[in-house]
Amino acid sequence: MEWGLTIITLIALFISFCCDRKKTKGALMMAAKRLWKITPLFLLVMLLFSFFISAVPQSLIQQTIGAKSGVMGLLIGLGVGSVALMPGFIAFPLCAMLKTQGVPLYLLAGFSLALMNVGVISFPIQKQYLGWKVAVVRNIIGFLTAIIVAVIVGIIFGEIIL
Amino acid sequence: MKRKVMWSFIILCGLFVLFSYLSKLDFVITVGTQFFSVFWSMIKILPCAFILIALFEKWCHRETVERHLGTHSGVKGYLWALILGSMTIGGLFVAFPLAFSLHRKGASLKVIFSFLGFAGVCRIPMTLFEASFLGIEFTIIRLCTAIPIMLGTGMLLGWYLEKQNYTIRE
Repeated sequence: MEWGLTIITLIALFISFCCDRKKTKGALMMAAKRLWKITPLFLLVMLLFSFFISAVPQSLIQQTIGAKSGVMGLLIGLGVGSVALMPGFIAFPLCAMLKTQGVPLYLLAGFSLALMNVGVISFPIQKQYLGWKVAVVRNIIGFLTAIIVAVIVGIIFGEIIL
Repeated sequence: MKRKVMWSFIILCGLFVLFSYLSKLDFVITVGTQFFSVFWSMIKILPCAFILIALFEKWCHRETVERHLGTHSGVKGYLWALILGSMTIGGLFVAFPLAFSLHRKGASLKVIFSFLGFAGVCRIPMTLFEASFLGIEFTIIRLCTAIPIMLGTGMLLGWYLEKQNYTIRE
């Protein structure tokens, strides 16, 4: 399972390479360039995360965003996701890091969905295109969707017991 | 300049890890160990995710799909909205101008708002990233719940706004 992703990537690369060498080479170059570009930011996130995990006592993390944090934890996830402005290529690795610390998946689902569908900081741009009213409605829909999906994820993975 | 900052930062990170193992300070050792384990788990996933996304972008072109939207109605219109939404790269900053141009091309508001919803929840590059880091089961569950919700609310919002003679501004 751990190497599943690597195997899938290699198969995809192999098929692509058989179909079109030039395109595959271009894709690899593109991936390398992007990876290179985010490296410093990524290292910074990892470093801050390591500091955070080491400095904050485990019991406090468990209480606020851990498996027993309940509604409050979910609200924290949703709130941070709504306000934060973070590209997905930082957000999902961060989610994976938090998962190893025992943060439940439903909380991460709430966070990542709120991040993508609710934009408190990007609101002015939304307003410009859609108008004030519709932009507000769309953000509320995004927030409610994040709650619903988070709860369903929690139920299916057995993290929320009704 | 940017390259220089970047390199000095990477070297600083390396020195930090090295220092943490050489020093006898408990806290520094904890941070260093933590950093190393995170770094190792990320380095197994990150290149794969980036390669998959690059392959996707090289083989699938948004423009091909774009031509279809607005010309179909009914179920086909929503299907194209889903495909276009999932192929939108760059998030809402790309999706809004696209929505505006679709509006001009005569796509119904129901289709457009469904498209904007889909662009938020099922962009393929983002989904690839999510599946790589949080697992494929997580992604499947999320898509199966979020897509119907976005379709429903998009249709509802579009239907209501069509009655109000609403237009998307540039």
